[in-house]
Amino acid sequence: MPNDGKSTSVTEAGGARRARLSREFEARRSKAMAMGGPERLERRRQKGLLDARARLGVLLDPDTFIESGLFGTSASRIEDKERSPTDGKIAGFGRIDGREVAVVSNDFTTMGASSSATNGRKIAHMKRVATSRGLPLIFLGESSGARMPDHMGSRGMGTLLGNDPTQYVRLRETPWASATLGLSYGSSSWYAVLSDFCVIRKGAVLAVSSSLLASLAIGEAVDPEELGGWKVHAETTGFADAVADTDEEALAAIRTFLSYMPAHCSEPPPERVVPAGSGDGMRDIIDLLPEQRTQVYDVRRIIRTVVDKDSLFELKPRFGKVAVTALSRIAGRTVGIVANNPLVKGGALDTDACEKITSFLVLCDSFNISIVLFVDTPGFAIGTDAERRRAPGKIMNFMHALQLVTMPRISVILRKSYGQAYLNMGGGRNSDEVAAWPTAEVSFMDPTFAVKVVHGLSPGEPGFNEALAGMQRESEPWDMAGVYAAQSVIEPHTTRDYLIRMLEVHRLRMTGGVGQHLLRSWPTSY
Amino acid sequence: MARFEAKSEVMGVVSKIESKVGDRVDAGGTVMVIESMKMQIPVLIEDSGSVRQILVAEGDTVSEGQVVAVLEG
Repeated sequence: MPNDGKSTSVTEAGGARRARLSREFEARRSKAMAMGGPERLERRRQKGLLDARARLGVLLDPDTFIESGLFGTSASRIEDKERSPTDGKIAGFGRIDGREVAVVSNDFTTMGASSSATNGRKIAHMKRVATSRGLPLIFLGESSGARMPDHMGSRGMGTLLGNDPTQYVRLRETPWASATLGLSYGSSSWYAVLSDFCVIRKGAVLAVSSSLLASLAIGEAVDPEELGGWKVHAETTGFADAVADTDEEALAAIRTFLSYMPAHCSEPPPERVVPAGSGDGMRDIIDLLPEQRTQVYDVRRIIRTVVDKDSLFELKPRFGKVAVTALSRIAGRTVGIVANNPLVKGGALDTDACEKITSFLVLCDSFNISIVLFVDTPGFAIGTDAERRRAPGKIMNFMHALQLVTMPRISVILRKSYGQAYLNMGGGRNSDEVAAWPTAEVSFMDPTFAVKVVHGLSPGEPGFNEALAGMQRESEPWDMAGVYAAQSVIEPHTTRDYLIRMLEVHRLRMTGGVGQHLLRSWPTSY
Repeated sequence: MARFEAKSEVMGVVSKIESKVGDRVDAGGTVMVIESMKMQIPVLIEDSGSVRQILVAEGDTVSEGQVVAVLEG
């Protein structure tokens, strides 16, 4: 363009305009980015806590966050507009290991990150985009619950609550992960327990409402840690899949969890390079199983030997400890591991373990993850306590879920497999393949009890030892292989090779590795 | 120094007490063994500590969740 003077003056005017717009934009941006102000942010830093934006920095790949709703503010009360930058919930998109994710990070320094009309719209938008575009969704929870007084009165309720009939629907189109990183009440708790993975930081609280409100309701002081601290959720409720000492550790756990998951339910999980040294311990794996059938051991040592090196990511390790549920990899491909752990209660499955396994089956089947079961259980824990904990219902929920799984399931019987637990752990046609180690013993009940029931003999009585020896022989896996109820008896040191081969045989070629997701709406928080 | 309790995870019979008062037990170590469901099930501790009290004897029947020892660590 010729420099005729006229165009120069237009350019200068345009430059001034750009500068003015830029100054205004920057002033508004700085205000929104300031969150609850320097004093509140400094108080958090002194406690060693990350703020909502710093958490995003740790969670996401560097320089990948693009915010949605930076200039959102409170919409209900005009007097709150100036003190509600981003309306207390920072939302947007970023990448983890190069894959897009959607994320909501609660800014507790802004009105306690309380739920409001504007930030509710932000969450709804993140969910819509994540679901329709196939992105994992992440919630970084720390929120005081519903904003007051916005929600008060019938007008407040009518305006702010219940306008989205799909708000709490989980159809598991994409994986959800949550971290509870501070006091979390109301929606922060709802999204944590709706998630497929929930990590809680020590010192954080996850509860329906605050200890103050709980104290008012029941008329006595309630300790926040007792109400919903990490121990409660790691050991009693089982809501916490993992526990972290720091914010950074919690955010790293989310990254690790997602590394096993597909971005959405219509693709298989990502594959990884097989680490050097994988399978190195297989030659001596039998030494990890005690020779005496009454001795216990930690099944995780056997699992770690079989799977790819350093790939075992255990979920809910402090809850329902008689069972191990873990994400892992075999030959670079994600697998879900379900195992009995004789180290705890001899491996007898209790109601907590049933719930833990059921929720894990939902996770695996919803996201196209093949399942490997390692079996060594004397059966279900029985007795009055078990019945009062609804054992029959929990056992059948577990069984129902297992039979709805459409992803490949392979069972390896290491040692004991008795009674109904034989079926729940994939016996019969409840797995696509059943393999037994030569050490396997399968029957309706432990031979020691069976001798009493069938022959009326107790230890020490004439004929007891002979009857016991006969029943033990009949419990060996060879007869089971003879009737083709176990498709294979394998030498222990070949277990990894066997699984690699069988997982390959059973790949869902017709659907590109994608299952039918019959468990996708199953509630997992009980 | 905090005191903490070791509990039996199962109902059963104390078959062997492996630690005595004054012994140091590392995290993950065994204080005693309970026989239940024809299995020898260890009472494991999650934190390291010294045994201050043993509350049961070999042959005693214990219930699930019963405190069987007190440690300090």
